[in-house]
Amino acid sequence: MVNVEDLLFLIGYTLLIIIPLLLAVAYLTYVERKVIAAMQRRVGPNVVGWFGLLQPFADGLKLLHKETIIPTQANPFLFIVAPLLTFGLSLSAWAVIPFGPGMVISNINVGILYLFAISSLGVYGIIMAGWASNSKYSFLGALRSAAQMVSYEVSIGLVIVTILLSAGSLNLSEIVEAQQNIWFIIPHLPMAVIFSISALAETNRAPFDLPEAEAELVSGYNVEYSSMTFALFFLGEYANMILMSAIGSILFLGGWLPPLQIPPFTWVPGIVWFSLKMSFLLFVFLWVRATFPRYRYDQLMRLGWKVFLPFSLLWVILTAGVIVIL
Amino acid sequence: MGGAYLPDLTLVLPEGILVVTAFLILMTGVFRKSTNPQVQQRFGHVALSGLIVALGALIFYHHPAERWISFEGQLLQDDFVYLGKILILSGSAAVVGISLASMLKEHLLSFEYCALILLATVGMLLMVGANDFLSLFMGLEIQSLSLYVLVALKRDQTIASEAALKYFVLGALATCFYLYGASLMYGFSGSTNFEAIATIIRMESAGNFPLSLFMSLIFIMASFSFKISAVPFHMWTPDVYQGSPTPITAFIAATPKIAAMLVFLRLMLEPFMTLYDEWQSLVAFLSLFSMVLGAFAALRQTDLKRLLAYSAIGQMGYMLLGVVAGTDEGIQAVLIYLTLYLVMIIGTFACLLCLRGKGSYGVQNIEDLAGISTLHPKVSFALAIFMFSLAGIPPLGGFFAKLYIFKAALSAGFFGLAIAGALASVVAAYYYLKIVKVMYFDDAPKVPSASYGQIVVLPLKMALILNACALVTLLFFVFPNPILEIVQRAAFTFSG
Amino acid sequence: MTTTTLIFYILSGVLLSSAVMVVTTKNTVYGVLFLILAFFNAAGLFILAHAEFLAMILIVVYVGAVAVLFLFVVMMVNMETKKSQRMDRRYLLMGIFVGGVLVLELVVVFMSWNTSPEAFELIFAPQDGLSNTHALGALLYTHYALIFQAAGLILLIAMIGAIILTLRQRENVLKQKIGDQLARQAKDSVQMVDISPTSSFRNLESLDDSATPRGRTSRVS
Repeated sequence: MVNVEDLLFLIGYTLLIIIPLLLAVAYLTYVERKVIAAMQRRVGPNVVGWFGLLQPFADGLKLLHKETIIPTQANPFLFIVAPLLTFGLSLSAWAVIPFGPGMVISNINVGILYLFAISSLGVYGIIMAGWASNSKYSFLGALRSAAQMVSYEVSIGLVIVTILLSAGSLNLSEIVEAQQNIWFIIPHLPMAVIFSISALAETNRAPFDLPEAEAELVSGYNVEYSSMTFALFFLGEYANMILMSAIGSILFLGGWLPPLQIPPFTWVPGIVWFSLKMSFLLFVFLWVRATFPRYRYDQLMRLGWKVFLPFSLLWVILTAGVIVIL
Repeated sequence: MGGAYLPDLTLVLPEGILVVTAFLILMTGVFRKSTNPQVQQRFGHVALSGLIVALGALIFYHHPAERWISFEGQLLQDDFVYLGKILILSGSAAVVGISLASMLKEHLLSFEYCALILLATVGMLLMVGANDFLSLFMGLEIQSLSLYVLVALKRDQTIASEAALKYFVLGALATCFYLYGASLMYGFSGSTNFEAIATIIRMESAGNFPLSLFMSLIFIMASFSFKISAVPFHMWTPDVYQGSPTPITAFIAATPKIAAMLVFLRLMLEPFMTLYDEWQSLVAFLSLFSMVLGAFAALRQTDLKRLLAYSAIGQMGYMLLGVVAGTDEGIQAVLIYLTLYLVMIIGTFACLLCLRGKGSYGVQNIEDLAGISTLHPKVSFALAIFMFSLAGIPPLGGFFAKLYIFKAALSAGFFGLAIAGALASVVAAYYYLKIVKVMYFDDAPKVPSASYGQIVVLPLKMALILNACALVTLLFFVFPNPILEIVQRAAFTFSG
Repeated sequence: MTTTTLIFYILSGVLLSSAVMVVTTKNTVYGVLFLILAFFNAAGLFILAHAEFLAMILIVVYVGAVAVLFLFVVMMVNMETKKSQRMDRRYLLMGIFVGGVLVLELVVVFMSWNTSPEAFELIFAPQDGLSNTHALGALLYTHYALIFQAAGLILLIAMIGAIILTLRQRENVLKQKIGDQLARQAKDSVQMVDISPTSSFRNLESLDDSATPRGRTSRVS
């Protein structure tokens, strides 16, 4: 039987991750607006609280007290389930992320596959929302998004294959430990580039935000959503961004490891390094959004299938060959 | 990491050559993006040379009178498999040779066709070389998937799509049967290897076999009866023969049947030999009904390809008669029949493929052949030879094939079946001879239809193959020894 | 009853009932969603048997890719449920008959089945320190190398088939040729011309046409 004490600890750990995560999501929206504003020489939110620091809570409160509208022609069950699914999935992936040596809820053997599996499920929330809304814009957005996510999952999968070939393990902590000597970004720089671009596509972020293109699809799959159901999609998307940054720093930037294994760096705890790396990657997400215009759909598909897929396949073969020779 | 694992790769050298050629064709085809017929024809030539090189590799590396096993017992090659692979490779090469011109005329020749033919051949080679239910399954799937696609190649035509769909759905069902049977067999024996299974069945006390073993036997037999289109699993054959483009019908009629029959023979004689008393009545049933239905159902057909489909069902029935006998003589008879059947069927299709109507059609109905003996005496003569041979008129090859089969059946004591077979072949002779009669004694139509065989397109390759087939059929009774020798050696693998 | 047994029965219960729902439900979209639920529970069963690699692959491949495409098709096709209902009745008897025969056979086979004593030990992965990912890999790339390759060949054929049967080369489609765009040089499309203030603007038209832009979106014939 499961020990009651263990269960309580488990719940405690989970809360310890979820609450900071939700706070991080809230402030990511704030940072996004600030960063983009700075890049566009605006001020950004500055009214609610000091420097607008309370803005995310104001937004949340506003969404919370609005009415949840379910369109009459919609499929109410799936309509409600879809945002829950998106949000739930974006949280459940965190169970296997190691924040430091041994700082992980569940240190499973196939951690990286678990992450890959969870991220491949993300498409269901979107496609269910699009279909259940019974609206053409939603459905179009959902179709675009599903095709996009399925396509880019392939190249993410191949990136993961190269990493696990180099690390010799599917366990995330062991992948991090394998980067003691050298971060994987250095030998696998092209794969790191492919991963970061695919991560943008996988999270439906600019410049690959076609599923919610405001101009054509009036925000795509979530056009019929309001209030908390919309908020859940919103939270899910940002939580996914943070998750992708976490995966990126584990796979390529050595997770909790300091840049050099010498005293001034090793004094800093691993979780700080991990957060710093994640923050940098998150900044890149925002930076890209402020810089690049949106891709056209055929260009997006071309990039995924005709550029990334063959190249990453080639790289997998190359990596395997080098490992066999060494 | 453990030591390097390297199986004996020369065993799969022919398969390897074919796969590499197919990849070559695919890559060049995709990047050339040419619709130029000459380029497409060049792909056909590459495929043809791939098949011939593979045949050369097979013959060069063969170890005679030896059981050559590789891939941890999953593949083997002995004289029986060797004969099978020779038949398959040369059959596929011949089909590619006779089909190129016709495919070109029907605007179907593409690099995908060449690649798929090669891949299907790889599947068949794996099938006959399999010594394990898993590798057999893989070969079976590679072969059937390629064939489904080939049948659907003319996708704009309803009849072709219908044929492809029927073939696919029923073929998938047959695969399910196979998997069901093989998994039961695994449950019974704990192994998928043929030899291991044979040993385990032998250890069971006779007359006390568990039910799961019978179930497995029946399911596996059903799936292969489907592949060789034995009655009652023959329904798909006429529709698929009729629906697919004629060059592809030629392919389906020739090599996959050979491969499936050889696998059937191997399964019955190796893992299931101990169960002979159990399966012989079932195979006898399949054989009898195939012979009878093949003879009677073909009588009313007007479409040439449907007629050939029923003819194939009947021919398979005769071959099964040799399997029923189960003796060394029976196996030899089946192998001789298979060899001659391949020659005759390729010859027949070569004749049909070279006759074309005024439009872009090939001949379709029996009337399309009316009176062509005056127009094209040579082709008509060749077709007549094949028809006489298929009907079993002495002294042509087909007669001897039937003779051996009936002799084997009689000496094994299956008098009733042999008599039924002889009667069925008398009935079947009617429709084979009807084609000859239409060609030689009917008048050509005043206004020829679009598919009336007015024009002969006979490039050199096709003419060579056609002549070779005709010569083998004609002269088998003079020089039977080359075929008999190799067949004897092949059959010896089971008795020896 | 241990927790594992309880979880096993919950998972298999949900698995079986969702599998029944896949076949019986009228709404095809729900059918696919139940199929996904069934996959999930099957993955759960794999995890119970310590086959975590298989569980994850099941989710990644079947739920993450195959079922998404199913869902795509089902959502796009928008099945008319009423018409198929009438058809169902006609085939119901036949279906029940065939299914019944198969079930009966299975029952009869398993009644006479003796499980060998070692079989129970084989249900769970051996705990010899080798993770089951390693164990699977070691088998797949040695003992089953041939079969693994052949399976790859099957997938290739399926891909060729899908492409042949669906790809239609349409004419007059605008296609972007990125290679041409990138290869375009300034000197191909821009021409420096000395125009003296006195010469008329008309003279420019007589310039050669070699400067037609190459990299522009071009018609594919």
